[in-house]
Amino acid sequence: MMVPLANSGFLELIEVAFSYPGNEFSLQGINQHFQQGEFTAIIGANGTGKTTLGKLLAGIIKPEQGQVLIAGRDSREISLGQVGKLIGYLFQQPDRQLFTPTVREEIGFALEFNGSSPEVIKKKVNDMLDIFSLADLAGAAPYQLSAGEKQRLALAALLVNQPQFLILDEPTTGLDPVRKQKLAEVLKELQGKGIGLVVISHDLSFIRSNADRVLVMAGGGLIAA
Amino acid sequence: MTLPIMVKDLSFRYQGSKKEILTGINITVNQGEILAIVGLSGSGKSTLCYCISGIIPHIYQGELSGEVLLKGSSTRSLSLPRIATQLGIVFQNPETQLFFPIVEDEIAFGPENLCLAREEIGQRLAQVLELTGMERQRYSNPQLLSGGQKQLIALSSVLSLQPDILVFDEVMAQLDPAGKELIKNMILNLKEQGKTVIMIDHDCDNLVIADKVKILKQGRLLDFDGTFS
Amino acid sequence: MQLDPRTKLIMVFSLSTLAVFVQDNRLLLLVLIVSVLLVAYFTADFRFVKKARKFIILFLGIAIIQSIFAPEGEVLFKLGDLTLLTAGGLQKGIRVILRMLIIIVSAVIMTGSSAREIVQGLIRWKVPFEIAFMVSLATRFLPILGEEARDVYIAIQLRGIEPEKLPLKQRIKLYSYLLMPVLTGVIVKARELSTSMEMRAFRAYPRRTSYLRLEFKQQDYIVIILSLSFLMVILLLYLLNIW
Repeated sequence: MMVPLANSGFLELIEVAFSYPGNEFSLQGINQHFQQGEFTAIIGANGTGKTTLGKLLAGIIKPEQGQVLIAGRDSREISLGQVGKLIGYLFQQPDRQLFTPTVREEIGFALEFNGSSPEVIKKKVNDMLDIFSLADLAGAAPYQLSAGEKQRLALAALLVNQPQFLILDEPTTGLDPVRKQKLAEVLKELQGKGIGLVVISHDLSFIRSNADRVLVMAGGGLIAA
Repeated sequence: MTLPIMVKDLSFRYQGSKKEILTGINITVNQGEILAIVGLSGSGKSTLCYCISGIIPHIYQGELSGEVLLKGSSTRSLSLPRIATQLGIVFQNPETQLFFPIVEDEIAFGPENLCLAREEIGQRLAQVLELTGMERQRYSNPQLLSGGQKQLIALSSVLSLQPDILVFDEVMAQLDPAGKELIKNMILNLKEQGKTVIMIDHDCDNLVIADKVKILKQGRLLDFDGTFS
Repeated sequence: MQLDPRTKLIMVFSLSTLAVFVQDNRLLLLVLIVSVLLVAYFTADFRFVKKARKFIILFLGIAIIQSIFAPEGEVLFKLGDLTLLTAGGLQKGIRVILRMLIIIVSAVIMTGSSAREIVQGLIRWKVPFEIAFMVSLATRFLPILGEEARDVYIAIQLRGIEPEKLPLKQRIKLYSYLLMPVLTGVIVKARELSTSMEMRAFRAYPRRTSYLRLEFKQQDYIVIILSLSFLMVILLLYLLNIW
């Protein structure tokens, strides 16, 4: 039984190993800490297991060996619902995390199910609509939005929960240069508020200009670049 | 000489939409040339692709004016199978372009639809696999290949129809740097074979291979000066 | 042995027909044993064994429900006044399970053929090629839909929602949210797919040629004759009540 060191990181990987049956990669002996207020990028070729690592960090999948600690708790012992209150996770395809009939409901979804009052929901949703310039689209159906709008919406719906950490899987796919710049500004601001960021990407120019720390996935391990 | 692609004063509006998404577009591309079209999301790049390749008006409906001429014939008067033998299109998402468990089946699909003889299909298979360098993957399952390789198979599956024109609709968007390199080299290779290429992209790194670059802005096609704003 | 996909279809057809028609548990058991042997011989794929284990609980459930609502035969187990298990109920439970197992196991025989082979087999049987391709596309994309639904459910929970702590009514409402993204996913995929097929000259002519060649070999004829004879013999045994 391994005891985590105090304050060693918001997310922690301890000797983590994982493999998919029949897949080309397997992750082995990964040790890494991720702090709040820090922007870490994870890069690497397609098929090296970057997305798998992201899912391990969010407790969506559990390690075969070793431990993933989320705010000091083993990911095997924490439910996805509890993880969601701490971490915002942006999927590679935002379509899979947008599921309500309108943009407004999408942002208010978590608040509504967790029993916030209608006034609080309205206020928080309006704030998010403003921050992500979605106010004009409040009544639109999420699946009809453009790729960039979908992504802003997905982020807004995550941030309304006030997570302490964000994991973003390929957030720049389908974004044009102007939208990428805007995304970078939003992320900088979140970082300034003390939110930790892990960004999985193969967009090197985006990473180079924004990340504090770059880790490379290769050969089943995670190495500092 | 007739040009491979000529777009004349093309405008398009989707059914139910008030705004024209494309307005007065004119394009001429010479044989063996690579034209790149850039633009922000929502500027109508994919719609333009659909117009050039006849998907509009044959599959998607809307209000189309002006003309797209492929080797002098209007896409309106050509049937889709006829267009397919002149123009091949590769899309962004490999998942919905590949539907067989074996690469060979994927590439044979088009020629089979044209009712070609078995020997002819066999020859085309060999030829296309050699061109795209996918000979070793002939009996592989496309789902198990890398992103770049999947796009090469999608390309192979249209090349077997022997088109002279190729349209690439953001095919590199989901690829890692190695995959992008693979596709860029392939496009240059196709140019050498005398194919005419239109590629849509918004990544400046991918534009170096183009002979001409144009930008779509609010439905109009302009010369690209290197900036998006 | 590499069999023609049509031969395999006939085998599966014979076995599943028996599973549906025959009401006798001993005969059903015989059919199941034959199915397992065939899978062992032709594919050696035994992953279904794992799935089959789950059926035991289902079987007990069915047997008990049958016994409570349609008590037949000797009472085997009683709880106070409530008859929990009867011989008739047990028999019906076993029958349902045997049938399901035969159908599942016999379907495994098809796994050795690729989708393209099955499509070509159907076309050779005069099934219109459009329909044959649609069937094969459906089998290719159904698993993806399941995966998507799972992802959406994960995404819902990651919004900080713990379904297990919600009252039943709320939880059902939560599940209803799975529907929309999956349906829109289907529509978008179907559209992209049909565009990509048409741009590769699909349906250029009312017929098409095939690079893949299917030919019955001697072994195919033998297996087909054996399968159909097996079908006939078991059906006769059952119908004439000779068993």
